[in-house]
Amino acid sequence: MSAGSARTGLSLLSPAFLVMAATLLAPVVALVVMSFWTQSGFEIDRTFTLDNYARLGEPGEGVVWYGIRFPFAYPVPAVLMVKSLAMSLMATICVIGVAWPMAYFLAFRVTRYKAMWIILLTIPFWTSYLLRVFSWKIVLGFNGAINSGLQWLGLIREPLEFLLYNPIAVMITLAHSWIAFSVLPIYVSLEKIDRSLLEAASDLGDSKWARFRRITLPLSMPGTIAATLLIFIPTVGDYVTPTLVGGPGGTMVGSLVQQLFLKQNDAPMGAAISIVMMLIIAALVGLFLWAIGYGRMRKRIG
Amino acid sequence: MQRVKFIDRMAQGKLSRREMLQSAGAFGVGLMALPRVARAQGGPLTCLEWGGYDAEEYVGSYVSKHGALPDFSIFSGEEEALAKVRAGFAADVMHPCNYSVSRFVNAGLVTEIDTSKLSNWADVFPTLQTAEGVMLDGKVVMAPADWGNSSIAYRSDLIDPAFAEDPSWAIFYDEAYAGKVSMLDNELVIQIGAMVGGMPYEEAYNLTGDALAAAAKDWGAKGVNVSRFLWTDASEVQQAMASGEIIAAYAWNDLVKNLKAEGIPVEYASPKEGMFTWFCGLTLLNSGKADPALAYDFIDAWLSPETGKYLIESSGYGHANQKSFEIADPAEVAAMGISDPVAMMASAKLFLTPTDEVQVEQNRVWGDTKALKM
Repeated sequence: MSAGSARTGLSLLSPAFLVMAATLLAPVVALVVMSFWTQSGFEIDRTFTLDNYARLGEPGEGVVWYGIRFPFAYPVPAVLMVKSLAMSLMATICVIGVAWPMAYFLAFRVTRYKAMWIILLTIPFWTSYLLRVFSWKIVLGFNGAINSGLQWLGLIREPLEFLLYNPIAVMITLAHSWIAFSVLPIYVSLEKIDRSLLEAASDLGDSKWARFRRITLPLSMPGTIAATLLIFIPTVGDYVTPTLVGGPGGTMVGSLVQQLFLKQNDAPMGAAISIVMMLIIAALVGLFLWAIGYGRMRKRIG
Repeated sequence: MQRVKFIDRMAQGKLSRREMLQSAGAFGVGLMALPRVARAQGGPLTCLEWGGYDAEEYVGSYVSKHGALPDFSIFSGEEEALAKVRAGFAADVMHPCNYSVSRFVNAGLVTEIDTSKLSNWADVFPTLQTAEGVMLDGKVVMAPADWGNSSIAYRSDLIDPAFAEDPSWAIFYDEAYAGKVSMLDNELVIQIGAMVGGMPYEEAYNLTGDALAAAAKDWGAKGVNVSRFLWTDASEVQQAMASGEIIAAYAWNDLVKNLKAEGIPVEYASPKEGMFTWFCGLTLLNSGKADPALAYDFIDAWLSPETGKYLIESSGYGHANQKSFEIADPAEVAAMGISDPVAMMASAKLFLTPTDEVQVEQNRVWGDTKALKM
């Protein structure tokens, strides 16, 4: 690359980079710095200390939560972290499970008005995120659409109470909110598949299923992985959805961070938990990419 | 006229470059000066309010004088509002209560109220004028406005008659009512639990350390598990009660009043452990950007007898202004039972103010108790 094109590249990148630096890097740095402070009452003590991190790892009596032992003196963050990861994982699996066939249909079966189909997909995004979460509250609620529908059909007499205010409600809502985000990357990678590869496979005697398994599925992986990460990472830290539909049983780690900052007057601890959460997610994502051999795959697909 | 001529000449290309630059420069200078002018007059009044109080009826004279409601920011608990202001939210007026105002004072956020600027101050019940919470260290930090109860509201048609005969806060900790009741999302769940266990409120509000941890384990966790949801929004609990989703809830007077008006059979219990009482008011914050005169107009509007009349008739709360009771519907006043705040506070348990340390510890223990719900 010549010096000139490098300069062009940098100048093209710089607006985005500046915005990122101002809105992402600076807050993260502030968060890191804050996590080394302590707070008592209204006063923030700005001397450097590792107390917050030490407290997160400090062994203690702990609690048993769903049969898992958390042997920490302050077990709440660990419990909520595990719970959030599990809930996000479930939501992600549901999302990919639903989005993949949708993307496949779009890429292979729709031949006319493709743009219209894609626009149709984005319709849920025409209303705000908050409004969609609220509508789930109405759908799942005591007098909600599901309960009144089932009652009208005569299938149940008393409304079902397990629909709302629990982790399942959070997972359903998260899955629905994020589905459109995952269809598009999967669709793009399916769309990119060279159709002549499929023809060649058929010509050489592959059955439909073998052709799908050996060509379509592997070639769709970059999009599918991107979609998985796109859903998993933001949902772990979500706090609006658990607050509205989760009830106390559906609390996630984001709610704890919010609580520490806003109610428990312990912003430095909240910052420390956020940092640890970021590191854990980064480690998990790295592990995931390594486990599926993402590097090799990229080299092969090019 | 001048402006139209300018645009005409510009459109016809008759404007010299110098004239054009001059005008553009003037426009720029004007634009720069604009926000400063606006700031000199003060920003809009911003009030931190409880949900439901963000209505014209509570500040009628303010609206008629200034033409519009101020900006409201709704909070569901004082600690949340406190955190918001401390994080930099520029509010001018806040609506704390007798037990929570000191938190704002200790955080250094409160400006003393000059009562001579409040035309309705003279009509405020004299005992309220000097009550603790209105006055702290000899300074008026809160203009008292509304007072009422916190107790159990229940659906008389759906509840076990045994409860109606001998109401008790124990209902919120009884597995038999799991999923059918709703407590306020507040550390009171732990305190009231301790009261059910036999501790007097005067001790329970001040629980700390191991005793607090034990009460949280014994009562807090139970309270969290039994409640269908812990409410933060009064309209949410009201709807849930109207639909029969829950049959009993921690509630303020207005919930009972509102549901009765809808024809729903709901009663307000007087639990054997005691019902609570509180008075709230308006506090001037020093974080505000608006002209303080606006804030005084807002507070004065709240203290007016017309607001009191509306408060009494529509929500069943008491009001700080004695004259409200004279102009309100006598039947409504009679329905309240007690129309004197002193008698009212004596008849029930007035919420007490814990120290900052205790409050912070209770916030933390309550947060952890909720988080560990299975």
